[in-house]
Order: sequence, then C-alpha cells, then structure tokens
Amino acid sequence: MAQEVIFEARHMHKAFGPTIALKDVDFTLRRGEIRGLIGENGSGKSTIMSIASGMQPATSGEMTYLGKPWQPHNMIESQHAGISMILQEANTIPGVTVAQNLFAGREAEFSKLGIINMGKMYRAADALLDKFGIENIRARDRIDALTFEDRKLTEIVRCVDDDTQILVVDETTTALSLEGREILYKLIHKMAGEGKAVVFISHDMDEILEQCTDLTVLRDGDIIGHLTRAEMDAPDAVQRIRYMMVGREIGEKYYREDYDPSCSPEAALVLDHISFGPIRDFSLTLHRGEIVGFGGLSGCGMHEIGRAAYGLEKLEAGSVTRNGAKIKGCLSAIQHGIGYISKNRDTESLILDAAIQENIVLPSLTSLSGPAMFISPRAEKKMSDEQIESFRIKCGGGSQYVNTLSGGNKQKVSFGKWMAKGSEVIIMDCPTRGVDIGVKQSMYALIERMKKEGKAILMISEELSELIGMADRIIIMKDFEVTKEFTRSPDLKQTDIIEYMI
Amino acid sequence: MNEAVIEKSSRSPLTWLKKHSAQAAAYSGLLVCIIFFSIVTPMTGESIWSINKLSTLMQNVIVLALMSVGAVFVYALGSMDISIGKQVGLYATLVVVLGNATGSLLGGIVLSLVISVVIGAVNGAAGEVLHIHPIISSLVFMMVLTGVSSITYNSLGSRNVALSGVDVSIFRQTWFMLLALVVEVLVVSYLFYYTKLGKNAKAIGANAVSAQQSGINLIRYKMLAYIIMGVCVVLASLFQMGYTASASDSTGTGFEMNVMVALILGGMPLSGGMRSRISCAIVGSFTYALLDVGLPMLGVLPNQVFVIKAVMFLVVVVLTCRKRGGTLPR
Repeated sequence: MAQEVIFEARHMHKAFGPTIALKDVDFTLRRGEIRGLIGENGSGKSTIMSIASGMQPATSGEMTYLGKPWQPHNMIESQHAGISMILQEANTIPGVTVAQNLFAGREAEFSKLGIINMGKMYRAADALLDKFGIENIRARDRIDALTFEDRKLTEIVRCVDDDTQILVVDETTTALSLEGREILYKLIHKMAGEGKAVVFISHDMDEILEQCTDLTVLRDGDIIGHLTRAEMDAPDAVQRIRYMMVGREIGEKYYREDYDPSCSPEAALVLDHISFGPIRDFSLTLHRGEIVGFGGLSGCGMHEIGRAAYGLEKLEAGSVTRNGAKIKGCLSAIQHGIGYISKNRDTESLILDAAIQENIVLPSLTSLSGPAMFISPRAEKKMSDEQIESFRIKCGGGSQYVNTLSGGNKQKVSFGKWMAKGSEVIIMDCPTRGVDIGVKQSMYALIERMKKEGKAILMISEELSELIGMADRIIIMKDFEVTKEFTRSPDLKQTDIIEYMI
Repeated sequence: MNEAVIEKSSRSPLTWLKKHSAQAAAYSGLLVCIIFFSIVTPMTGESIWSINKLSTLMQNVIVLALMSVGAVFVYALGSMDISIGKQVGLYATLVVVLGNATGSLLGGIVLSLVISVVIGAVNGAAGEVLHIHPIISSLVFMMVLTGVSSITYNSLGSRNVALSGVDVSIFRQTWFMLLALVVEVLVVSYLFYYTKLGKNAKAIGANAVSAQQSGINLIRYKMLAYIIMGVCVVLASLFQMGYTASASDSTGTGFEMNVMVALILGGMPLSGGMRSRISCAIVGSFTYALLDVGLPMLGVLPNQVFVIKAVMFLVVVVLTCRKRGGTLPR
C-alpha cells in the first residue's frame, strides 16, 4: 500500500567545514508513516530533519514537499507550511502563563482594537489542552510552576495544529514523563491515521520498535538501511539494528550479567527518617559496593530523594549521614565524598558555556589549591585529560566548550567531574537520559566497575529495564511513598514492577 | 544539530574567530583607535605618542583602569555594582579629611579599606540572603553614600575640600601610575586566573545552580568578588584624589557607568561567566581614554566626543552580541 510521497530529499549533503554531517543522502517520507530515525550521536539523524524544517540550510541537494520544490529559510516558515519540529531542549517562554506560551505570536486572534481578550485566550488554551488529553496542565498556570516534563508537553501542544503535515519529534520522549509519552504516542498515531507523516528521532530502541511503522538507520552521515514493520517484528531485529547503527557487533553484554545482589555490610550513606515537603519519614541505608535503584513515575518523589541525599533539600526532620557525619548541604556532601549527577544535565550538572576542563575540575578546585591558593594549570589539565582519556570523551581537547558536545559526551563530562574528585558515593538521577547505545553500554560498564571498586551508587531512573539490569535493590515509589522493594533477580520482569508504580 | 561534526570542526580558524568574536571586536576597536590616532594626530599638530600626550593619556586612563580591573570580578558573576562612583567620592573625601587631621594618608586609607570590605560583603551577600538582584543593594549604597557625602560637605561648609600638609604629587607621576596599574593587574590576574576566587566567580556567573551543586559556596565567593573590587576602588580613589589633591561632593560621579562602558568596550560579556577576562578592563579603559585624549586633538568638541563614543560603543556591542541563527525565536 504505497502511499503518496509527502516529502523527499535528493542528494542532501551537509558539511561543516571539512567534516561531513550528511553524505549525499536520499530520503523519502510518505503519508501515514511514522518513520523512526535511529543512529548514534553524530550519525546525522537530526541533521536531515533540521534541514527539512529550516533550522539550517543544506550544503547541496534538493528537497520536494507536497510536490513542490522546498527551500525553507527558517523554522517559522516551515511551521506555517506544515512542518513542525519539537526539539530536545526546552523552548518555552518563562514568566508567563501556559496560554500565553501556546498562543505566542498569535495574539491577534484574540485581540480587538489592540486589547487582548485574555479570557478568550484562556478558554481556547484549555480547550486545546483538553483536545490533547492533557488534564494536569491548565491555561492559567504559570509556565515556571510546571515541571520540565510538563513544559515539554506544552511545547508539543504549541507545535502541532490542524495544518501540520509533518511532525518531527527529536528525542523529546526522554524529556517526558510516562504519562506525557502516552499523550505523544496517541498524537502521532492519530496524525498518521489522518494521512499525515511523523518522523520520530529517538535513542530508545524499544520505543521505536513499538511506535514506528518504518525505520531508517543512519551511521556517520549515511543511510545504512531501511526496515519495514515486518522486519522490525523479526526476532533478531534488535541485534540487526544495533549492528547497523554501530557498524560492529557490540556484543551481548549490555547490563550487568551477574545476579549477585550482595554488597559490603558497611553503610556508605544513611537517610534516617527524613521528612521534607510531601516526603514523610523516609529511611534508606546505602552500602558500599551496592547499587540501589529508584523507579517510579516522574512525580513520585524519587528525584527529590536523590536531591535530599545530596543535601539539596531542607529537611524538616531526620538526617542524612555518611560515616557518622551529618550532610548539611552540597558542600559538606562533596567533602564527605558524595557526588551528584542531576537529571537536568544541561542546567544543573554542567556549565554548558564553559570548557570541558573547567567543568571537570570544578568540584576539585579546593584540593587542587596549593600554597597562596595557587591552582596549577598543569595539574588542572592533567586531571581533566585523565577523565577525557578514561571516558573517551569525543572532543578536540579539554578547552572545547561543553555546549558543542553531544548528549552522551556531555554526560561523560558530568561523570568525569565526580570520578576526578574521587567520590565514593554517587547519586545519579537519570544517568542515561538522551544517551545513545554505545555510550550507554560504556556507562553501564563503568557503573559496574564502580560497584566492584566498592563505591555506593544511588541510581534514579525512569527506565525500568535499566534498573532491572543494573541495580541490586530496586525501590519503587508512588505518590511520595515507597510501594515495593525488589531484590536483584533474573526472574524480575518489568510487568511485575509497573503495577506498583501506577 | 549534528554534534559530533561540530566537535571536529572547532579547530578551524573561522570557528576560533567566531568563538572569540567578542575579544576580536574589542581588540580591533583599540587597534583601530591606535592606528587612526597615530596617523591623524601628527597632521594636526602634536602626535599622540609625544611624552606629553602619553602622560595625559595615563592620567585619563589610570582611575578608570584601576576600577575596571577590579570590577571584572563582579561582572564575571553576571552582576554589577553602581555604587562604585559614590564609593570613590567617599574614599577620596575620607583620605583628604583624615589626611588634614593627622598629616598622613594612612588613616584614611585604612578606614576606606574597612568600609570597602563592609560594602563589598553586604553587596555580595545581599543577593543570596535577601533574594534580590545585587544591583539593588548597590543602588541602596549609592543613595546612602550620596546622603553621607551631602551631610559631610554641608557640615564642612564647602563643596570641596583640599588636602594640605601631605605631599601627594607621587600620584601624578606617570611612572607611579604605570607601576600601580601593572601591580594591580598582576595581583588581580593571579587571583582571577590561578585561584579559586576567580574560577569560582566565573563558574557562578556561567551557571549558579551548577556551581552550587559542584560545592561552591555562593555567598562566600560573591562576597569575596565584591571585596576584591572594593579594594581596587580604594586604590583608584587615591589616584583620583591625588590628581587635584582634593575631593569634592561630585568626585566619582558617574564612574560606575564609565566602568560599565569600558568593560563592554573591552569585550566583557554582561552575563559574566567563563569568557570574562581581565584584559577586557585594560583594552576597554585604554580605548575609552584614547578617544577622550585623541578626539579633542583633532578639534572635536568635548560634547561631540560623547557622540563618537556612543557610536563606537554601539558597534562593539553589535559585533559582540551573540545571535542564535536559524532557530525559532521563542
């Protein structure tokens, strides 16, 4: 059932100076398709669609959209023409309401004689949100009061309207909560059903296999292959896709292979009957050489537990202690060998507008300071180069700015900070968010190595497969309370866990 | 975006220039001024490179440069201080009044330093403790100090006060100005580039949340940044006072704006962060002073100098501000 072609690119080529991002690729998109684009960071999967949506021009090649030559100059032009792209980063306007965000640039529709009828705008916004099945966000909410996940959802609502012909979802799902993902999935299937087209760019293979009707695999700027739905359902599909993406066998080893949940009896971090905000009387003992996983929906309180363990939350009762010393704030946490990797990598764990080296050495500056407070540039470089080397951070050197790195490499920098500091307890919140398979695999290997070295790890994750694969103990939370605790076992299935989450 | 590709291309000269566009624009501004005045001034009479004019230039630049170098610490945080001018007025007055009373500058200098540390500490801490923008607290100090100066000069019964009995001619010597500037630049650069003080200040300016999660005590390092600037302002006010061996109720008025203009002319990002450099202060101050000294030599009237400065300022700002091309403006 070959559908009508909606978009086509011929000999699309994109070069940044001497490096080639896209090598003369041909790409065809048909109506009714949910096309998955998968590939490692830097494979060119986002580049294709960013050119199609006018974010950047191609170096050469032609595009056809709705049967006519297509040469967008910017994203607004594309959006008016029906190609909308939802980007990875948050792009909402702070300081105003949800409705003002939704209708930014379209105020004229609600204005009379230059005065905006806000009541009308709020009603229209609520109706729009209802249409998408979003109930927890309301038009009058201030955008800043929303969580990151809900802001992302707001953005999706803004991007899509009845005239949207092609929706590009660029690694957005990693930034959404489970409920948000369901809303997005429903939307893309509805659009495909209406004969529109969706391009779904993601790192998450499970998600791609579940949602997409077609799949294109890219590697190093080349289209490597194309899979139909039938091929995606084949039993060896996952191995085949991984092989196509990486270009070599990445091996079976992905998660930990042992099922031995034992660890040292020595406590590394103790959360003793802590209460703050909606969290009441929570206790946990994390041992040396133990990986404790936290799972749940995004609003279940697990992220807050991670923050509290690092001294970021003001406790109303109880205490966080390490080796008998009370953790009062980040500074004392760091001094006692605790490291924290926030789930908001780009806004909290890293300084994007700074060099790799400046990020890596930041928590270690005190220990690098010598007499007269002198910090030797050589010592700084050595410390940072060691981490770049050991994590194989893909960069031109420690002086390269972090904002030029890919998601996976950025995350390696935030791990490197705490490795350089020699932290013994690492709290990691969504450590593999927005990271591709190759990097994920090396991170899992690193986490396993850290466990063997006797480090204690608190791993908070929205990916159940990751928790099952890595953690010794899995604590499931719902509505700020622990609903169930699982011990590492080969028999543990996602389905067993999910019922305690929802 | 295709990240891996950008990674590899970051070494080409063009990307280097893009990355350092602020620096390049600022340096070229100074360079253009130097070349222009070197060629044109000899045609209208005295060259700008004559000993006489150079010492005029030094007199014009010294106070501004001393203040701006210290202010880099505060601007690196992404904040600014608009009480600088009034602080200069206060310190100059203190040094003159106490100098007349005791016959030595020492008392005035020590008291000024103590006050500068207190003001710096309050300005630095206010933002974090009271959750207000640090400009507000410096605005409060500006108003308080204006009041103090007004009361002081009212009780003195005159709008200015001259220093007598203490020889301050050394502050008018070009070599001493140069020495003071070099020493200050060396010391402040050391603190800024080679110690936690500067590194933490830049990190706070670049991303305060991340800095805090990396164990930086925000209050402490903001306070220290303001205090370092305060000490530099005390030094600057000595030269301001020494120039005329007097102080008045208008001493230092508007200096905070000159510092801001000089730093921006020098390529300092107003948001602070890792791209902050001490050289911004030097480049900016000298560009500013060159225009002040050079333009009148060409017969430009003093009020026209402001217009030319404004144009120059606009050009540098336009060249240095970073734009996000291609992405939806939202």
